[in-house]
Amino acid sequence: MSPAAAAAHSVRIKAVYNHFDAFLTGVDRLKRAGFTGFEVTAPLPRHELLEAIYEGRPSPVRWWTLVGGVTGMTSGLLLTSLTHASWPMINPGGKPTVAIVPFAVIMFECTILFGALATFAGMIVHAGLPGFFLDKALKDPRFTDASFGIVFTRASERDQDRIMELLNGSGATEVTSGDDTVYEVPNDTL
Amino acid sequence: MGSGTGLTGVESKLPGAPNRPLTYGETNRDILRVLLKPSAMYFAALATTVTMMLIGGWAWFQQIFWGMGVAGITHPTMWGVYIVDFVFWVGIGHAGTLISAILFLVRSRWRTGVYRASEAMTVFAVMTALLFPVLHLGRCWQAYWFFPYPNQRLLWLNFKSPLAWDVFAISTYFCVSCVFFYVGLIPDIASFRDHSKGLVKKFYSLLALGWHGTSRQWQHYMGAYGFFAALAAPLVLSVHTVVSWDFAMAPTGGWHSTIFPPYFVAGAIFSGCAMVISLLMPMTYLFKWEKYVNLWHFESLAKMCLLTSGILTYAYGMEYFIAWYSQNPYEQAIFFWRATGEYSGAFWLMVFCNCVAPLPWYSKKIRTNPMALFIIAALINVGMWMERFNIIVSSLAHNFDPATWWFYMPTWVEISITIGSAGWFGTWFLLFCKTFPAVAVTEIKEMVPPPLKGSLEAK
Repeated sequence: MSPAAAAAHSVRIKAVYNHFDAFLTGVDRLKRAGFTGFEVTAPLPRHELLEAIYEGRPSPVRWWTLVGGVTGMTSGLLLTSLTHASWPMINPGGKPTVAIVPFAVIMFECTILFGALATFAGMIVHAGLPGFFLDKALKDPRFTDASFGIVFTRASERDQDRIMELLNGSGATEVTSGDDTVYEVPNDTL
Repeated sequence: MGSGTGLTGVESKLPGAPNRPLTYGETNRDILRVLLKPSAMYFAALATTVTMMLIGGWAWFQQIFWGMGVAGITHPTMWGVYIVDFVFWVGIGHAGTLISAILFLVRSRWRTGVYRASEAMTVFAVMTALLFPVLHLGRCWQAYWFFPYPNQRLLWLNFKSPLAWDVFAISTYFCVSCVFFYVGLIPDIASFRDHSKGLVKKFYSLLALGWHGTSRQWQHYMGAYGFFAALAAPLVLSVHTVVSWDFAMAPTGGWHSTIFPPYFVAGAIFSGCAMVISLLMPMTYLFKWEKYVNLWHFESLAKMCLLTSGILTYAYGMEYFIAWYSQNPYEQAIFFWRATGEYSGAFWLMVFCNCVAPLPWYSKKIRTNPMALFIIAALINVGMWMERFNIIVSSLAHNFDPATWWFYMPTWVEISITIGSAGWFGTWFLLFCKTFPAVAVTEIKEMVPPPLKGSLEAK
């Protein structure tokens, strides 16, 4: 089936939870029923939530940190050594041209700087930021305020009733499908 | 705004919070409220800091127009108040990343209420510190010579010099602090975005980077945040170590000492924590943050100050002991002169403010008295400025050759620029408090018990 045809037979389903335990129950029931491809949202990073979805798998961002740190340290060494090799008159205190001890300070700073910048880049890439084009059901303002959410952006139409039954049964405050999933809160604050 | 439906019947975990459960929605609303129309008191505070900044700007203009002669620095005291201010502001910038990174890694709970404002303080303090090498240059338009890039001027940085290390240390600290600060802000900015409209919403939307709190976003955010903290923690300790080497690497009496790195780091944490108390106490009153920032936080900061005050007192004593024990006449002379010479006023003020004034905090009654907290923290800030003045100026003014001895006092230009730097710092901080959440909404929510359906059903 082509993606366009699949989209024609898919439906958006959103469940909003005001209670954390009900939300975890919903996630658990969906996983037990074999459903995948749903996204969950929360106003804070509860470890139970990340455990339920990622089952303890660490974020690959750590590899970005490692590569950034090693690149930084190497860059620091190259910058200092090549500079002093090119300008050997800069030789205070009888130190050798390539003096590792004083250069270690620059290497350390470059390790931290490159490591932090690479970590930031890794977070942006893996977290899918900027997320301006996320499905509109995920942009429910309640999810950054006080509510938890489970969203199927493209659930199969034939699974719709079963998914909605599971979500309603888990204690969701609100379960909607199709275009009803879009919610606007009143702008009462700013 | 969505309603805060998290009434669980569980007591809030936030000591000092009202005796009822806080909810996620309530937390959002309370902290968002700060962004509403500013009060007259806020405008008065802003007008004061802007005026101070203009005074400093005028003095800087005088220095650029007439030359460095209007500043009091001259041979042999070529490092004066500008370098004192530089070291002071770098020190102030230490508490923020210490609180946000090191206390995050050790899972200290009291950091939650104060870490955002402390991080902001770090960024603005380092921005202030970075002004001073440029001011000290005189010909500030040539400040780009600091940076290593291929050029035709036959100039290149000497990477064996502590001054080059300092450029790298402070620049790295500033960049990493900014990234760490911004990453922490992203979920809170998203929360603000979702409760705003018009241009304000567009502004926050852009800064929130499309954050919507999906599990994918949280997973990698949390992974990255831990690494930022792990990277920032050694950086905090290294920055003032490198700053101390600006002095300790020089064979100058009173400077050339291996105790300088821990001594400077402890002093930086001491002054930074005192500045957090000095800033957050009025802000808590001004913005009504009592539910989230309260005496529990200030008492914890006071305990940090007590610890570091003890380390500093030990370091001051050890400097004198080593001067005596080394039998080095130059070292003995400078330390004797510091306590008895022309700058003895600065020395004894330093000793009083840093070693004696914090002692009443050993009493819990005084440690939890807001007025006592504020006054002692202010004294510590004065004492730490005096410490840097004492170290930098006295050693240069009274060096090895008596023929070069000189009594340096700052001119009105240097004093005005010092006042201006406080205004610059205060203006940034006040603008930040009205533009972004100065209390971390998301981390406060993590301390609030989650809303559970079970307890509601039980009711």
